[in-house]
Amino acid sequence: MDNAASLPSDAALDRCAEEPIRIPGAIQPFGALLLLEPRHLLVLSRSANLQPLTGMMASPGQTLAEAGWPGTLTAALAEWSNSDDALYSAPAQLPTGRFRLSGTRGPQGLLVELETEPEAPGPGLDALYPRLKLFLDELDPASSTQTIMQGAAREMRRLTGFERVLIYRFDSDGHGTVLAEDGDGSLPSYLGHRFPASDIPAQARALYCQNRIRLIPDARYTPVPLEPPVVGTAQAPVDLSAASWRSVSPVHLEYMRNMGTLASMSVSLVIDGELWGLISCHSAGPRLVGPQIRAASEFIGRVLAHHIGANERSAAHAHRIALKDIEVGLVERLSRVGSLKAGFLENPQAWTALLSSAGAALVWKDEIHTIGATPTASQIRALAEWLHAQGVDRTFCTDCLGTVWPPASAFADTASGLAAASISRLHGSFLMWFRPEVIRTVQWRGDPHKTAVDQSGALHPRRSFEIWQEQLRGRAEPWRRSEIDTLADFRSVVVNLILRRAEERAALSEELQRSNVELESFSYSVSHDLRAPFRHITGFAELLKRRARNLDDTASHYLDNIVQAAVTAGRLVDDLLRFSHLGRAALSCATLDMNKIVEEVRQGIDLNEAQPRITWHIDKLPPAWGDASYIRQVWYNLMDNAAKYSSGSAHPEVRISAGRQGQDIVYIVADNGVGFDMAYAGKLFGVFQRLHRTEDFDGTGIGLALSKRIIDKHGGWIKGEGVAGAGARFCFALPQRNERQ
Amino acid sequence: MKKIKEVRPILLVEDNPHDLELTLTALAQCNFANEIIVVRDGAEALDYVFQQGDYAARPSGPPAVILLDLKLPKLDGLDVLARIKADSQLRQIPVVMLTSSREERDVVSSYRLGVNAFVVKPVEFGEFSEAIRSLGMFWAIVNHPPTHPASFGGQDVQG
Repeated sequence: MDNAASLPSDAALDRCAEEPIRIPGAIQPFGALLLLEPRHLLVLSRSANLQPLTGMMASPGQTLAEAGWPGTLTAALAEWSNSDDALYSAPAQLPTGRFRLSGTRGPQGLLVELETEPEAPGPGLDALYPRLKLFLDELDPASSTQTIMQGAAREMRRLTGFERVLIYRFDSDGHGTVLAEDGDGSLPSYLGHRFPASDIPAQARALYCQNRIRLIPDARYTPVPLEPPVVGTAQAPVDLSAASWRSVSPVHLEYMRNMGTLASMSVSLVIDGELWGLISCHSAGPRLVGPQIRAASEFIGRVLAHHIGANERSAAHAHRIALKDIEVGLVERLSRVGSLKAGFLENPQAWTALLSSAGAALVWKDEIHTIGATPTASQIRALAEWLHAQGVDRTFCTDCLGTVWPPASAFADTASGLAAASISRLHGSFLMWFRPEVIRTVQWRGDPHKTAVDQSGALHPRRSFEIWQEQLRGRAEPWRRSEIDTLADFRSVVVNLILRRAEERAALSEELQRSNVELESFSYSVSHDLRAPFRHITGFAELLKRRARNLDDTASHYLDNIVQAAVTAGRLVDDLLRFSHLGRAALSCATLDMNKIVEEVRQGIDLNEAQPRITWHIDKLPPAWGDASYIRQVWYNLMDNAAKYSSGSAHPEVRISAGRQGQDIVYIVADNGVGFDMAYAGKLFGVFQRLHRTEDFDGTGIGLALSKRIIDKHGGWIKGEGVAGAGARFCFALPQRNERQ
Repeated sequence: MKKIKEVRPILLVEDNPHDLELTLTALAQCNFANEIIVVRDGAEALDYVFQQGDYAARPSGPPAVILLDLKLPKLDGLDVLARIKADSQLRQIPVVMLTSSREERDVVSSYRLGVNAFVVKPVEFGEFSEAIRSLGMFWAIVNHPPTHPASFGGQDVQG
């Protein structure tokens, strides 16, 4: 997914993103801080307000004991330090009053914070428990996420006393949308509004995941420096990531003041390690929230995140199951049909339903097939090329294609959303699903496009939180996680299917090769062994006829028939062999002078006639590209047929001409002979198909089949037209020479 | 004019009895003076030309022409042809391949091995006997064997 490129992400914002928020070198003045070396509780650093706030000294290099801290306190801290507990929390009586000690472990040592326990102690855990229990009881697992968030916002406000509590969620671009709100009306309602991603810089987001709660009781505070600000041999600044009272960025404080809220508290909603959203509490005036309430707030945040996560997971799961049903049905149909293309074109509904899209495309090698609403074929082709160039070898999803690939803006209406799966890396083949643009009106709090950089180049947070409406264009309904998972699953099924088909094809072609070899040896032995007996029959019949000189007419006729039959059978064998040869022979193509070939064939045919009666009309013919001996065979077959079938006419005529049809040159042989009934046209080119009786016209019935095979092998076509009793017309076309030949 | 003893025999290599009978009939009609020696397989053909085995004691001298069927038991016609054409003494003997086959590979192989003529036996007897007659004419009568065998290549036509 892309980041919203249209939002401010210039140098100033980058500087904001680089701001060292983990190591500000200062804390808020609402507590004091000690950084202790864990073994001897040696003071490494401390906040400058430690002594004024607590009345206790702690100079760097001293142990707490040496600095005169109460033995019970140091013993308890030492015990925690040696334990496995991540956190420490205990009350302590110090010279200036009662304090709450909170300890966390940081990379540089123990971070111990001290803050005053309120004079009138706030509700203790025992007092909080019944309320939290009530809230937990309300969290019916069946409740919608919205209901739970609403309850959490209300409970949070009741618990903390802030004037307004917002619960918002970050979208994939980092913008936050307020989904639930509870307030007393003193601050404006932000429900449904969006806050630009730039409001919370990336490193602040990361910190939100780690430290789940942050309180700023008064945005006007003066930071308290750490002394010394750097520790250890590396003299590294003190890492305050885990500290409650880490001082925040001045930019953020300005942002708060601009928004009219002096106090804020944020509780992170972290789901599966990702910052899903925030519970954000505000008050116009200052508001200090004690450690117990903060702990309870954090607890509410965790419970809420837990429930939202569970809800989302179960919703995603249900959706995934629904999609799986469609997928299984589709795969089942795919495996039944012969090709991916057929599976695609024959199941348009299931195909688009799989990813709830308006259209889909199959890009397979040079072919593009589409169903539903899609960009044009050439746009899809360009898109596939772009995906290929991007190195997409699995899946790719976006809900704003025009942003990641500007040419797509031209067809934003049909394809602002694209889900693509590569099905052949080699051929750049893809499955694609398209979602149309959905124009949304968004109410921003502040203009997200406006950068807030003054003339000096320094960044200031925006001052305006006025509603700024925007129509979001070029965006489709986002792809859900379950849909992206489904796409990945479906892709692997399709790829496996393609691989299996390829294997089957390979096996088939092996089989074919084997049977070709068998066929060849078969035809070889036929050519030797089948011809011989026919030769013997004619030979001995001839010899018998010569020897028996006094045979009567009938006996002599019988002998003639025997010879005739054997000769015909021999010729059949020869023709069949020639036909089967053609399948195996390679063509040796050259430019052919068709005039020359036709003239030679004509002379040959005329020579065979006792008295040539045929009138030939032969036009000038353009040259062709083909195998001379095979093309000569075609001319011979067609011209010999024409001569043969027109021989019964009073004035037999054969016309030979040529024409152009598209890329092809078409040659035509027409006669005025007996013709044929077009009802039998389908049988013209079959092996041993005859449309006339043998005693009328001689021949084995293989000439046209052979001709068709020759022309097919050249990549051309042949067809015959006829009218019974009114002549026949045969055309054949040969493609122009191309690189493949 | 040649003397009788100079009329060398025609060697006919044919395994099929019908073909043999027809060929002999056709040859008989030609009234050649040549004796016809018939052998029935490739091995016997080699025995004859190399004067070995059953033919070790035959009168010496090569045949005028060998009419060689392609498909033969034991050694086939191409094997026989190869052996004859590989022998510097015997390669001068004209060999005519007689066959039923129109298979191109047979024709190509035969010519590659140095055959002098390749004849596909016609189905009609008239044509067949005409082919035999003209072959016999050319190779057995017109064609003289070289006086010095080493002086010419096997495939050349000497007249």
